[in-house]
Amino acid sequence: MVEVEAAGLIAIGAGIAVGLTGLGAGIGEQSIGAAAIGAMAEDPKFFGKGLLMTVIPESIVIFGLVVALILLFVF
Amino acid sequence: MCGLFKTPAYAYITARVRARKRKLIPKETYPKLLNMQLPEIIRFIEESEYKKDVDELSAKFKSIDLLEHALSRSLGASYRKLMDISRGEVNYLITEYMRRWDVWNIKTILRGKYYGALEEEILNCVVSAGELHYPELELMAKKENIEEVISSLEHTPYYPILTKYEGGMLNKIEDELDRLSYTRLLDAVGTSPGEKLFLKFIQTEIDVKNLKILFRLKKAGVERDVVQNTLITGGLELKESDLTRLSGLSFSELVHSLDSYSYWRAISDVVSDQMTTLMDVDTKLDAHLMNYASQISHYYPLSILPVLDYILSKKIEVDNLRVIARGKELKLADEIIRSHLVM
Repeated sequence: MVEVEAAGLIAIGAGIAVGLTGLGAGIGEQSIGAAAIGAMAEDPKFFGKGLLMTVIPESIVIFGLVVALILLFVF
Repeated sequence: MCGLFKTPAYAYITARVRARKRKLIPKETYPKLLNMQLPEIIRFIEESEYKKDVDELSAKFKSIDLLEHALSRSLGASYRKLMDISRGEVNYLITEYMRRWDVWNIKTILRGKYYGALEEEILNCVVSAGELHYPELELMAKKENIEEVISSLEHTPYYPILTKYEGGMLNKIEDELDRLSYTRLLDAVGTSPGEKLFLKFIQTEIDVKNLKILFRLKKAGVERDVVQNTLITGGLELKESDLTRLSGLSFSELVHSLDSYSYWRAISDVVSDQMTTLMDVDTKLDAHLMNYASQISHYYPLSILPVLDYILSKKIEVDNLRVIARGKELKLADEIIRSHLVM
């Protein structure tokens, strides 16, 4: 019974890790994406830089994913 | 939470205006333009961001007139674009700031009708940058007389003021229209940190406008009551009591009483009792305003301030190009033209 509860908590922790980092990345990306689109509308040359800047907050989701994987497979 | 949804709207518009500002002519280019002859200046402008406007108007106008109209058209189109690409709060603030162009256009059409100018002559002077679109301005310019123009504005905020017109000189309603645009703008500004600075800028702009009025009217020896009725209240440093005091002074007294205000630093080297032209004061005050807008635009990057900076920089670029072209046409010395450039 105790083992089952721990597994459940680990799964919830992994979910929170991915979920919250995804939310954070989304909040960060909304402004960066809007600015990138704005810059691209004026000058299409900004496409590469704009895309790169927009995906930078995605790295935080990778950290969340790593934490989730550690939780799921190490503990 | 609300700010979370406002931020992308500001991020989009500020990225666009910053990209647009990058395309403006850098101030290092003005000395090069001063070394060119008029045909070279026209060619330079034809090959710049004004190309589309020059091409479209080239069949109708030639030489310096073509340049003037292309610059006005580009200015109007740039400002209208800002209103088209923004939404929500930022769009509201831009629309209110651009109301001054509605006032400018209404004043131009009324003056045109007053002096019996032709429809084409009137339309050549309007800048379609406000809420009133070009087709509406065209319809107004087609009207027979001032009364018809006023009745065509029935559904605008300007109508209550315009109905006060009882014939004769237009200056009274013109002053009231100016005041209305500033009153509405001051009421529109919110309480976020960026908007507080925007409010400070508007108040500074009112001060600068009042200073220009004071210099002009006092130099012309206009009576105190007339000066006082022309001034706009709501400034930052020049409060109502200051305006009352300054409007009662002579030109010489006015010059000596301005050193207690921060604007004195910007104009002190061109102001004196014996000054013959007020152009230098205007140029210095405009430069002060432009530098202030540029400076505060970096304080809150996701606010109305970078948009304001662009609006002002674009207007100054157009004015500078006009000064250079007209100066060259009149064969003025480079030094005189340079002194009238806002940099």
